[in-house]
Amino acid sequence: MKDRQLALILGFAAVAALVPFFVTAGTWLNFAVFTLILCLAAQGWNILGGYGGQYSFGHAAFFGTTAYLTAVLQSRYGINPYAAFAIGIAAAAAVGWVIGFLSFRSGLKGSYFALVTLAFAEVFRVVANASDITGGAAGTLIKLDVRPENFQFASRGTFFWVVLAMVVLAMLLTRALERSRLGAQMVAVRENEDAARALGVDALQVKLSAIALSAAITGAAGGLYAQYFLYLDATIAYGTWISVEALLAPIVGGAGTVFGPVVGSIVLHSLSEFTKSLVGRIPGIDLVIFGIMLILVVRFPPRNIPGLIRRWRSGR
Amino acid sequence: MPNTILQGVTPSRRALMLGAAGALAAPGLLRAQPAPIKLGILQPVTGALAQDGEYGRIGAELAIQELNATGGIKALGGAQIQMVFGDARSNPEGGTAEVERMQAEGVVAIVGGFASPICLAASQAASRYDLPYIVDVGVSDQIVSRGLRNTFRFSPGAASITRAALDNLVKLNDAAGKPAKTVVLVHEDGLFGTGAARTMQAELPPRGFEILETISHPSPARDMSNIALRIRSLNPDLIIPSSYYSEFVLLSRTLQQRRIRPKGIYAILNGAASNYRFVREFPDAANLVMDVNHWADPRKPKTAELRRMVEAQNRFWLFNVPMNYSAVMLVADALERAGRADRNAVIEALAKTDGSFTRHIMPYGPTNFVNGQNQGGQAVNTQIQNNDVKVIFPTEFADAQPIFPWPAG
Repeated sequence: MKDRQLALILGFAAVAALVPFFVTAGTWLNFAVFTLILCLAAQGWNILGGYGGQYSFGHAAFFGTTAYLTAVLQSRYGINPYAAFAIGIAAAAAVGWVIGFLSFRSGLKGSYFALVTLAFAEVFRVVANASDITGGAAGTLIKLDVRPENFQFASRGTFFWVVLAMVVLAMLLTRALERSRLGAQMVAVRENEDAARALGVDALQVKLSAIALSAAITGAAGGLYAQYFLYLDATIAYGTWISVEALLAPIVGGAGTVFGPVVGSIVLHSLSEFTKSLVGRIPGIDLVIFGIMLILVVRFPPRNIPGLIRRWRSGR
Repeated sequence: MPNTILQGVTPSRRALMLGAAGALAAPGLLRAQPAPIKLGILQPVTGALAQDGEYGRIGAELAIQELNATGGIKALGGAQIQMVFGDARSNPEGGTAEVERMQAEGVVAIVGGFASPICLAASQAASRYDLPYIVDVGVSDQIVSRGLRNTFRFSPGAASITRAALDNLVKLNDAAGKPAKTVVLVHEDGLFGTGAARTMQAELPPRGFEILETISHPSPARDMSNIALRIRSLNPDLIIPSSYYSEFVLLSRTLQQRRIRPKGIYAILNGAASNYRFVREFPDAANLVMDVNHWADPRKPKTAELRRMVEAQNRFWLFNVPMNYSAVMLVADALERAGRADRNAVIEALAKTDGSFTRHIMPYGPTNFVNGQNQGGQAVNTQIQNNDVKVIFPTEFADAQPIFPWPAG
């Protein structure tokens, strides 16, 4: 069973890696890169929300932190973009740990935790919008200088491989977590925190590890976003859109599974692209159709897409 | 990659030759129709900026209709312009995705973007393919300071608009005998409001104005009562707001309801202060509000004609229409001079545009691009008088005299 999972991950990686050879149209590569970046953000959310059971509504706080650090460190201080990216990821993990420490130590759970994370992300957004270092409301621009050592590639295909590598890495990490002691403790805390505590699990420590790891992965997505679009402002980096993107994909695809966020984001974005091509003339009608489809996907099958497949297989 | 770049060239070149051959073989009888030239129109028609995007699209559409009805691009055998429309969805990713699609469809240039973040991302994406990008409105000065050779802005940038706003404010105040000495700045806390407020804070005191307070509000904001009360207690001579449509409408209505009447409201790049929807829906609150903004040249007959066409569609006359109309005309002018639908030739022709380009309807000086920015582009001062938006500065374009300070009562 477990080997099948590994085979699936590697199979996905191999098939996806071939995409740039067959798809050369910028439109589709651009779509694929953007989908994978959001997939990575969702994988981050999945660690804390899916395995740890702590539903965050503010993963933008981590996405934006790495995004801003990647952009600001290189454009203002001339630091190598790769180093800036790494510093950004570490900083996102630290931000995650601090937010976790402040809220978990006060015993915030469920919707209270969701609200606090949302509030943190909003605070970050307002601060980023007002301070000089982030370029304030005018935003931060990364200078267009296409060189591989600059983390900018002439071909969208190369960037696709970079993002794909990160996504596969996150899948392997999730798989390793699933089989590790920490992963088991996270699931125990998710299912029944009191029981887990009674069995000697340090729930606070487990949740802090979960949020730091989760923040680092979602942060990586932010850094990749900045490097890909080369422009950031407070609404892009810390806006609620990314918090929603990060939680929607795992919930649709199956939270607390290795493939959930990947399946979820690919399905969601393909659906949105499909509805976009379906209707041309009336602006926004595709969003309406997408919304209706989303309601159907979330409402009717038992919980999500894997649930739908299971039900279909068992012939019910 | 070379294939995709050539895509835009081959058909039209062939078409040109076919057209020439056809004309030679059977003059006036059988003229092969040259292949249409695809022009990308990028506007946010869904999301927060949908209203502006919709009006931008109308402007571009009217220009393309007019070009096609008057014989297309003559240098290319009367080739028709075919619009490839893209919805930027009010965000930079949406803009980038549409640029990629337009590139795949082989457009010769892209016009539009509206908001600065969309323009920044989309022009950068277009620069990968040497695809000419003409910004319609986006005022951020970063747009033309990146050294992208494909990016052009016909309209003025934020710095130049603010300079004009300050100079004209001083002129206005001096001419009226300096009635205004104290100012309250009200701005939205996003991209343009904060920037405008900061410039005002630095530039107004040296010009003899005292800033009593700077009040920021988020967008959207649902209540302006506190701001209005604060303004009442400060009792400034002048209110300078930089907000989007709904917030400014709310503010001016609240001021009117509470009978707070300064000597003037002098808006800068305001979403409502030169918007006919505001004028029609709240004529009392809108009356005599001044604005420094993009606006069409009231003296050109084409302006009135275009306005009639827009109003015939039951739409308001917003600046997005003439700006996109003019930007499309700019591309057409470049195509005529380039003589071929080749991107590099169009970029070179755009860069060489001069005062002989007169098919636009903006109140600009002779066109002259420096690093992609049209030096002739400028904002004008408008004032709402008798339920109409009038130009009061600069005098050579004005169709009304300023009413300042506001008469009492």
